[in-house]
Amino acid sequence: MGGISVHPLETQENRDMEDFIQYTVQGLSAGGFYALAALGLAVIFGALGVVNFAHGACYMLGAVGAAVLLGTFNINFWAALVIIPLLMFGFGVLIERLLIQWLLRLDILYNFLLTFGLALLLVDLVKREYGVSGLPYEVPPGLEGLVTIGSVSIQKYQLFVFAFSVVICLAVWLLLTRTRVGMIVRAATEEPERTRALGINVGRWVTPIFGFGIALAGLAGVLAAPFRAITASMGSNFIIVLFAIVVIGGLGSILGAVVAGFLVGLVEAYGQAYAPSFSQLVIFILMAIVILVRPAGLFGRRQEAV
Amino acid sequence: MLDITNLSASYGEARVLTDVSVTVNPGEVVTLVGRNGAGKTTLLKCVMGLHRDYEGGISLAGAPVDKRSPDQRAKAGIGWVPDDRGMYASLTVAENLTLPPVVHSSGWSLDKVYDAFPVLRERRNSMGTQLSGGEQQMLAIARVLRMGSRLLLLDEPSEGLAPVIVQRIGEIIREIKKEGVSVLLVEQNVKFASTVADRHYLLAQGRVVEQLDNADFQARESELLVHLGI
Amino acid sequence: MGITKRTGTAFATLVAGGVLLAGCAGGGGPSTGATSELTNDKVVIGVLNDQSGVYKDLSGPNSVEAVRMAIADYQEKYGDDAVASEIEVVTADHQNKPDVANTQAQAMYDRQNADIILDVPASSAALAVSTVAAEKQKLYINIGAATMELTGASCNKYTFHWAYNTQMLAKGATGLVEDGGETWSIVYPDYAFGQDMLKSFSEAVEGAGGTVNESIATPFPNDNFATFITKAQSTNPDVIGTMQAGGDLINFVKQFNQSGARDTTTLAVGLMFITDIHSLGVEEFAGTTFTDAWYWNYDDQNREWADRFMEITDTRPSFAHAANYSAAFQYLEAIQRAGTDDADAVVAELEGQKIDDVFLRNGEIRADHSVAHDTYLAKVKSPGDVKEEWDYEEIITTLPAAQAYAPVQESCSL
Repeated sequence: MGGISVHPLETQENRDMEDFIQYTVQGLSAGGFYALAALGLAVIFGALGVVNFAHGACYMLGAVGAAVLLGTFNINFWAALVIIPLLMFGFGVLIERLLIQWLLRLDILYNFLLTFGLALLLVDLVKREYGVSGLPYEVPPGLEGLVTIGSVSIQKYQLFVFAFSVVICLAVWLLLTRTRVGMIVRAATEEPERTRALGINVGRWVTPIFGFGIALAGLAGVLAAPFRAITASMGSNFIIVLFAIVVIGGLGSILGAVVAGFLVGLVEAYGQAYAPSFSQLVIFILMAIVILVRPAGLFGRRQEAV
Repeated sequence: MLDITNLSASYGEARVLTDVSVTVNPGEVVTLVGRNGAGKTTLLKCVMGLHRDYEGGISLAGAPVDKRSPDQRAKAGIGWVPDDRGMYASLTVAENLTLPPVVHSSGWSLDKVYDAFPVLRERRNSMGTQLSGGEQQMLAIARVLRMGSRLLLLDEPSEGLAPVIVQRIGEIIREIKKEGVSVLLVEQNVKFASTVADRHYLLAQGRVVEQLDNADFQARESELLVHLGI
Repeated sequence: MGITKRTGTAFATLVAGGVLLAGCAGGGGPSTGATSELTNDKVVIGVLNDQSGVYKDLSGPNSVEAVRMAIADYQEKYGDDAVASEIEVVTADHQNKPDVANTQAQAMYDRQNADIILDVPASSAALAVSTVAAEKQKLYINIGAATMELTGASCNKYTFHWAYNTQMLAKGATGLVEDGGETWSIVYPDYAFGQDMLKSFSEAVEGAGGTVNESIATPFPNDNFATFITKAQSTNPDVIGTMQAGGDLINFVKQFNQSGARDTTTLAVGLMFITDIHSLGVEEFAGTTFTDAWYWNYDDQNREWADRFMEITDTRPSFAHAANYSAAFQYLEAIQRAGTDDADAVVAELEGQKIDDVFLRNGEIRADHSVAHDTYLAKVKSPGDVKEEWDYEEIITTLPAAQAYAPVQESCSL
């Protein structure tokens, strides 16, 4: 609303309606971002059965990486959108080969604890290197300011984040549903043993899938850099929201993560607007309701929840 | 084609199979007959490599496969049709069919599969688990035929199916036998087993108690039914 | 949250261990051989603050360094005549949690024989330590926390509040209202500090003839402020005041700038440290006004001290660093005058004292143990005006101590 002058004749109802539209746009924009960030978590859980607690830390690494690229190497946002996911893919592959793979056959709790420890380690290393106050980052040129559509003005960057997230989610969706690789991933996710017995080396796919999930977390981090504080602990709260999203959507469900991402974005925006103190609580109330009504989540298959 | 020699298998502390030796010759259909819990499915899983806790040897066409992973064994020509038919809920019928790699030039083309099982062509865009039980069984068999597996492991293919469908499955088994494919069949339906198999192994409490050719098997059918408690 | 705090412990143990060792090695000083008037034969200064979390950069380990600078200056000044012939520094990480602060303070006073505890950011933790100090009858000079309660209803004989408080921070608002920023929306984090700040700012705005149209509570911590900002703008105020601190402040300002609100609305920040400006970049904050307790590049005296600080820490000091130095130095001076480190004697020396040092200008320790001193209305420079790294602030006016600080609180009785 910032750029718009208020007409004296404007009625209160009009004004309320405009605000409502504004909140909705903000909710959808945040939702797209959440969906993208949660996607990697869902892919990794789906294919490996790993609850990746380090996802928030990897998101943080993406943002810190973008800030370092810009600050130290003068590499801009657009290049970072490509470079960081590639680096994070490599990092994910390394982590999977060195650590994750040894615990895959054990109870799910082992890798949960491993990734939890990994998150602590990464956060502390970044704190050691870059302090706690965070790193500067500016909005990429061309994406500053607002666009006005009708009576609603939207931040260009918000719009970009929304569009970019939707494109990435769609691309991942097509990759999973329309390609042979996607078919194998879905099969391996559903029944890893049986898929092996049908002549597919599931293990060979596990490493790149993990790397892919981590790359998505890094990508979300780059997107966050221009509009979020880039600090070592930026992922520590974020991961909690991401977990809420994948639980609402159904663990391991790609579609669920995307739908729940948007849902949480909207619920948060309306919460901020109409019940400010409870805007984060409403996310978890939503989660509690979903768990009570559909324990496996909105799109989860029952056996996965058990 | 398949030689299982002195195989013993356990689940943790529990011994499930003891000193089992089974041979399937090329182009031969052999059944494993026995009560529930006799260890039949475990034996198939050992052959497939899905159950690794065993001693003894398994070799395929003379080459030992014990050290190989399930996917390597599948590529070596073993085709598995699990007792739950192994449908993927997240894959369409067509995807369920084309998921495994073609491992041998004798593999059926997709057209041949669809000609043999017209219902699969009709429903190729449905999800795998939306098919009826009989259709799922057809799909599970068609899947390994498309791979070109030289040895099929069929786990109770007739279970829970209408007689007319069981009959159709019998026809398919006889047809692939003609192509020189070997079959190791786990079956409780003695009548059905006798219509398709060349030889039979009787399993009880994890041991092979008797080996019969089909003529003897048919002659002693009623006695065997009692033995199986059916 | 869980991660930060758990990490904190391990990291703090390392830092604290290292600092302790260094403290033992360096704190000895020349021995006088004179009869000691010191409890336990030495003065032990405890620095209790955030060694690993959100307040680490603005105070944290570098405040320990500042305290150590004060000790060196004291020893240089008095040499063999120093009453505090042996000085030790102990530190701990309170993780900004009141319960941890409580335990750590007790351990410092009882087991490590600390004569004084310094710093303690986060208001709830600061109040917890104040209670412990009163119980143990040992000194406590708070620097890092803002709450008025330390020198109000919860004040006590042994607690001093050295650097700033919420009322002083709100004085900046008076200036903005007088310059035409009459209508305000205030966005504040919904916990003790935020509520305090809302109260102080609302009083300051209304006292100067302005109005607060809307006050919006937000969760804490929080990283998505988009809708809060829209809501704050909905009444078209002249000024939006944010009471967010640390990472939340940076999130808020980034999103505020992108919302386009910057073009039509003045942004006032309730509490800002120079480390915040450094972190977000001067461009994002340019033009923002706030009240500062001290600025390193204000005059030659400050700058000279800041240069010494930089040699040791490789960074420029925040006002909290300078205040820690000042508090430690003035504490040692009080011991020197009293001839002993006995707590009651030192308190008597400090009370009513008028002080001028690198941090305190026209400083006075008042009846409620709040320290009034000149403060500064600061504006963040435009990137073009920045001449060197950390050269971020332009001091618009100096508020004399009497103006900057409200009268002594009546709710306090020592």
